[in-house]
Amino acid sequence: MKRLLLFLLAVLTVFFLAACTANEDAGSDPEEQDQAEASEETEDEPAEPDSDEKVLRLNIGTEPTSFDPSIGFNAVSWDPLNNLMEGLTRLDHEHQPGPGVAEEWDISEDGLTYTFYLREDAKWSNGDPVLASDFEFAWKYMLDPETASPAAFLAYYIEGAEEYNSGEGSPDDVQVTALDDTTLEVVLTQPTGFFLDLLTNPAFFPINQKVAEENPDWHAEADTFVGNGPFKLETWNHDEELVFVKNEHYWDADVVKLDKVHFAMVNDTNTQYQMFEAGELDTASIPPEMSDELIDGDNVFIGPAGGLEFFRFNVEMEPFHNKKIRQAFSYAINRDDIAQYVVKNAVEPAYGFINPGYTSPTGEDFRDVNGEVVEFNPERARELLEEGMAEEGYDELPPITLSYNTSDLNKAVAEALHGMFIEHLDVEVTLENLEWNVFLEAQQGLELQFSRSSFINDYNDPINFLESFISDSYMNRTGFSSAEYDELIQKGKTEVDEEARWEYMYEAEKMLAEEMIATPIRYYNTVVLEADGVEGILRHPVGYFDLKYADKN
Amino acid sequence: MLKYILKKLLIMLLTLWIIVTLTFVLMVTVPGSPFNSESSSNEIVQQNLERHYNLDKPLPVQYLLYLKSVVTLDFGPSIKQSNQSVNDLLGRGFPISAELGFFTVLVAVISGVTIGTLAALRHNGIIDYFAMTVAVLGISIPNFILATLLIQQLAVNWSIFPVATWQSPKHMVLPVLALATGPMAIIARLTRSTMLEVLTQDYIKMARAKGLSPWKIIVKHALRNALMPVVTILGTLLVGVMTGSFVIEQIFAIPGMGKYFVESINHRDYPVIMGTTVFYSAFLIIMLFLVDIAYGLLDPRIKVNKKEGD
Repeated sequence: MKRLLLFLLAVLTVFFLAACTANEDAGSDPEEQDQAEASEETEDEPAEPDSDEKVLRLNIGTEPTSFDPSIGFNAVSWDPLNNLMEGLTRLDHEHQPGPGVAEEWDISEDGLTYTFYLREDAKWSNGDPVLASDFEFAWKYMLDPETASPAAFLAYYIEGAEEYNSGEGSPDDVQVTALDDTTLEVVLTQPTGFFLDLLTNPAFFPINQKVAEENPDWHAEADTFVGNGPFKLETWNHDEELVFVKNEHYWDADVVKLDKVHFAMVNDTNTQYQMFEAGELDTASIPPEMSDELIDGDNVFIGPAGGLEFFRFNVEMEPFHNKKIRQAFSYAINRDDIAQYVVKNAVEPAYGFINPGYTSPTGEDFRDVNGEVVEFNPERARELLEEGMAEEGYDELPPITLSYNTSDLNKAVAEALHGMFIEHLDVEVTLENLEWNVFLEAQQGLELQFSRSSFINDYNDPINFLESFISDSYMNRTGFSSAEYDELIQKGKTEVDEEARWEYMYEAEKMLAEEMIATPIRYYNTVVLEADGVEGILRHPVGYFDLKYADKN
Repeated sequence: MLKYILKKLLIMLLTLWIIVTLTFVLMVTVPGSPFNSESSSNEIVQQNLERHYNLDKPLPVQYLLYLKSVVTLDFGPSIKQSNQSVNDLLGRGFPISAELGFFTVLVAVISGVTIGTLAALRHNGIIDYFAMTVAVLGISIPNFILATLLIQQLAVNWSIFPVATWQSPKHMVLPVLALATGPMAIIARLTRSTMLEVLTQDYIKMARAKGLSPWKIIVKHALRNALMPVVTILGTLLVGVMTGSFVIEQIFAIPGMGKYFVESINHRDYPVIMGTTVFYSAFLIIMLFLVDIAYGLLDPRIKVNKKEGD
């Protein structure tokens, strides 16, 4: 008995020590302690109506990858960062690039040289002025091959950038120059109609040179983080929570209405919805199984998102080396049904590659001008399949495998396609699901015959998507190569006359549809539940959300 | 005893080395790379990334670099969360998972042993049937279903507890309940069956004949032997729950280390895979070693250093 007791005692001591260490850790970390207090305050809040503080409680799902503007190349990092920092330009209510740190700018006749005039009252959250040299520093840091920035390619439009990033050039040849404290000159390799839009991307945010040179890890913790946006980073409890407070140094601080923003990191759709139900969150996404029930509610924000779900044909593999067979498969897809009954959540079926929302220089929408470039037509599909099979001398189609990365939604879409191909083409494809990373590797290596893909725009121009399919592009993944298409894209990127540039892009999309190297399924959208009183959150179709004008009553 | 421990330690280190090597081989065999994604990229950017994380080096060099990181216990920065080191991630996540796991085991053992003992004493009675029904339910309901049910009832509908996140003791109740039910049921069934067996043994009859009080017989004589199988599973159970449960931590948004086991593999975040594997294996090996020693303390017939002893 004594020995048993002794043993139990020993085990208990070990674990109490373990538990105590956990507590000591928490105690020694001043941030966490503040956090505990802060959270108690928020818990009390509903009971105290006298509190005038406007606190918005959002969820970003997971820990941001990095708040280093050059590194965190994804929405979970850039959504918050877009509110902590500001680039030369910032997207306005109409989703167009407006003045940010730059008050105004000049563009040279040939469209190559941009001169930005920074506002004098732009300040960092530590009070330092935002200097033109901070931009020069940040962009050259992003392009430094040692930094290994995944976003660096976005800056290749700048003269000397690609050479420096590939390790062949030098930083001095990158044509970004701070002429004085408030003037920045940028020289591009070719005229780029969407350059101002590109600059709203967080990759082009400035970095406080003084701070970064003292402490290269300035962006890793809340204590050392210095931004220049509408909010500043007060607390960063890794994996738990982010707290932003209004930045009094921000040049446009008067329009910022919120005092505080809490970001929870809840990575479970059901939980975040239950938290929203229980009043612990102000916005939430809709769990897929509740879509039918909730989508028509009054408190639902539905907006477009620049992106496309599509399937790639591998033009190097039988039978998809034959254009007519590719077209036949595309004609057999009923996209309305997929959007309405499979994906739900108010998504739009895609009858083109470029989602609606891009306004041409003549004021029209890209989609309206180019119309529907693919369609659902079972008869045409059958005809084309027969013609294609005759061309190739097939009596029977070679086996076809449709691959997707493992997910419930992807599976549902793939199964719907499977049914449509049987119904309209009398072809039974084999479905195959692969783990995400294995899938990407195989798609990249052209090992898949017919595979799912998605595209999310990095900047607000149709060329962003269209460019993916030029020969030997890293993003091509279909084996498609056409000198004619490459030329269209080259012109679509460099043409100075905007109207002519758009003509090239219209033509490029039509060519994609005619060659049918990928078939569009649906456009992405943003669907958010908002609690009563939440308003003014700017959600851009392309870009990251903006809380500058947000309010909560 | 000392010789035994030293020998055990040596075997433990060897096991660890084999695990590290196997993990490395598996990691490089599985297709994929930490930098694959659907977002736009190009070749120059990919090369820069590979060089930055030493993934452009020949495999033997990469293997040596990994071994070095294991020996120095410094696994370097995570690839996915590049401004944090693997040591930071585990150092922050483990205490939280361990705290959750500790209370889970505590609840599971205390309630499991109590229920099991009561059931055995009232064999084939109402309490027995009731307890075993609860136990079967506990084993067969997956904890993520239980978690969602608990949240919906106790947090959303009745507002007794907060839905999720990790802030106060109150936030701990639901995840502990959800996690503890399964192990509790297993422990209850184990305790019941061994207890039933022990109660028919001669020495229990002997104790009864001596006129010991039933309470003393159960606690002092029966339970001690009946607990052997519980101790056996306790080692693995402790390691299992203290290193975090991926599903429960995700549902309750608990910032523990459970997610790193799964996410590091999804992202091919090699340093984190290595760090979690080494940590988990070392922890498991040590716990199994402690269980070995505990056998000896609980049951004098088992000698940990039998060979030397005989």
